[in-house]
Amino acid sequence: MSTASYAQRISRPIGWWGMAVFVAGEAMVFGALLVTYFHLRIRNNPWPPHGVPEPKVAVPLFLTGVLVSTSGAMQYALVRARRGFASDARFALLIALTLQVTYLALQLHFFVDDLSKFSPSATSYGSIYFTLVGAHHAHVFVGVVLTAWILLRLVRGITSYRLVGLSAITWYWHFVNALAIIVTLVQVSPSL
Amino acid sequence: MLIRTQLAGANGKVLGPDAYNQAMTMHGVTMIFFFIVPIGIGAFGNYLIPLMIGARDMAFPRMNALSYWIFLASGLFLYSSVFLGKAPNCGWFCYTPLNTRQFDPGLNVDFYALGLIFNGISSTAGAINLIVTVFKLRAPGMSLNRMPLFAYAILAVSFSLVFALPVLTVDLLFLELQRKAGFHFFDVAHGGDPLLWQHLFWFFGHPEVYIIILPAMGIATSIIPTFAKRKMIAFPLVALAELLVAFIGFGVWAHHMFATGIATAQLIFFAGASMMVVIPSTIQIFAWLFTVNLGKPDFRAPLLFIGGFIALFVIGGLSGIMFAAIPFDQATTDSYFVVAHFHFIIFGAAVFPLLGGMYYWFPKVTGRMYHEGWAKASFWVTFVGTMLTFFPMHIVGLLGMTRRIYTYAPGLGWEAYNLAETIGSFLLTVGLLMVFGNLLWSRFRGVPSGPDPFYGGTLEWATTSPPPHYNFAVIPIVRSPYPNWDREDREDDVRRFERGQLVLESGHETPASTVRDGVLDEVLEMPSESGWPILLAFALSIVFIMLLTTHYVIAGIFIAISALILAAWHLKEPAEE
Repeated sequence: MSTASYAQRISRPIGWWGMAVFVAGEAMVFGALLVTYFHLRIRNNPWPPHGVPEPKVAVPLFLTGVLVSTSGAMQYALVRARRGFASDARFALLIALTLQVTYLALQLHFFVDDLSKFSPSATSYGSIYFTLVGAHHAHVFVGVVLTAWILLRLVRGITSYRLVGLSAITWYWHFVNALAIIVTLVQVSPSL
Repeated sequence: MLIRTQLAGANGKVLGPDAYNQAMTMHGVTMIFFFIVPIGIGAFGNYLIPLMIGARDMAFPRMNALSYWIFLASGLFLYSSVFLGKAPNCGWFCYTPLNTRQFDPGLNVDFYALGLIFNGISSTAGAINLIVTVFKLRAPGMSLNRMPLFAYAILAVSFSLVFALPVLTVDLLFLELQRKAGFHFFDVAHGGDPLLWQHLFWFFGHPEVYIIILPAMGIATSIIPTFAKRKMIAFPLVALAELLVAFIGFGVWAHHMFATGIATAQLIFFAGASMMVVIPSTIQIFAWLFTVNLGKPDFRAPLLFIGGFIALFVIGGLSGIMFAAIPFDQATTDSYFVVAHFHFIIFGAAVFPLLGGMYYWFPKVTGRMYHEGWAKASFWVTFVGTMLTFFPMHIVGLLGMTRRIYTYAPGLGWEAYNLAETIGSFLLTVGLLMVFGNLLWSRFRGVPSGPDPFYGGTLEWATTSPPPHYNFAVIPIVRSPYPNWDREDREDDVRRFERGQLVLESGHETPASTVRDGVLDEVLEMPSESGWPILLAFALSIVFIMLLTTHYVIAGIFIAISALILAAWHLKEPAEE
């Protein structure tokens, strides 16, 4: 018996399954955070409370759009890598990585800006706002590290092990980007 | 034991109130997070699942090692609090506002919160590993409908862990942010809500109860067919019932909160959902009883323990149904009646099958038989001890004794019952010592058991006892839910072994199959043993110690070191063909 290669395998590899189950657990983290947001919102009027500025709308939505577009780049990289085109995959990953890093840098700038305007330890709005948004930024940060990691690995060519890694990382990004839409909509919802 | 000694008579002086609170909290936390879950899932699940599904190892062997080391580290982390005199003292569910800095300024609660987050990483890693193992590493031919019922139970447990633990982690994170950084999640003065803690805690806490009980149900469904000498009746229904128990477990959390003033519509929903749990539980109970009834039962020690389990589970279950009735629950909340109920479930129903399972798989693990006479005697002592310890708790509960009191005044009519409970707990200890004494003695002096002393139906009995580190010399091919009873298939295995088919003797290989039908899909080269997991667990321990002592910069540095360790871990790739 020889080892079946990626192309011959008829079902998803165990690495993909590991990531899928992990992501399901992470979804519960954000489920709990979002439930908390609305739980506290129902009990507090006005929301956000007096003295706290209403969240901006246009900039976060635009940034989220940019981040979500990297899902396409990641998927393209995966498809090309599966067919053996390593340079195409690396190029798509590089574009995705650039956009992801830009997104994170700008978001961290706005995060610090928000911190200077209202404090997480003054109201429950501030507490859940910064915890929810911060948790998402942390997930983007982990994703950036993973993209950079797989890009470095692919510099030395494609192996079936790296393909499994790339497919797991791509799925992680689809999850983080779907969350980005939900978290951003919740974040800006008081201004809508 | 200390707790029971304290309560043996009125106005006990053995423990002061603070020490009692710490002892009680550590009892709850230890038993739930560091005893039953790791024994049921970690020990039984990790050891038996690969054997039962005909795999050579878990899907991610190194993550398995990581899970173990983190578990050990988180245990040491939490227990160090005992030696510092700062053990958690807020009860295992640690309700706010008692857990806030204002009322509990020491490190006690921080040990609790960080220790459980740390422990949660280990449990999550273990659960992911088990799910993927059960999905992907089953022997060729083992489609989902031929999977052992124990594997269904472990699958249900693992999914419960993956979906429930993150919610606890978030809740504990809120708590730490509130305690250390002055955030406001649970205090009304700044727009928080104390009930939020309870909602999130019990959203985790009730599935946790089923996480505790499901491995026990899985063990029962393994032991019963072997000793009744027939297949489990209603096999698919029992499998579905195991999954359904875990699923409904997510819809009943607020039944722990009937007395907190939540809306009536919520009360009725959760009461209804709680009643619903009866259905899958009853399906299983009747399936077990009828399997024994229709077979030719041989009441050896493992089956005796399962009999005890069913009896205790029915008693605990009946008092459970009483709580689903809202008025009754409101009258008995926080009384010893509740203590009686959950000890029947968590001790009686969850630990008895674990003890039965220890006897049952002892020959498989060690290759030697336990002593049958002592095993039967140990069952009766343990059973009587359990009844004597926990049954009077119903009565004192109805007489008005509240839980978590460290002493009480004489003349309330509670002394005799409490004395009986204390005597019972000593009897119970004797019973447990008999079990472990028997196993220890048999480990060295027991008669050799051979590969299959009970003529069991699942694959773990198809290999030698103790199993070699590769589990199976030849990968078995499966055509029924009880493959070890298919003599021809096992003889086929021997012939394939001689022909060298599916032997996979080169390196550390195991086959992977498709999720639903169990069709052989590929052969995986498993990673070799590695030192990285223990290093990672060590780095993470330092992170948690630094978080505890509020050295956030050092904690950050060690998070970065952990990431580097992870990178180094994955640097070496399996060789390409």
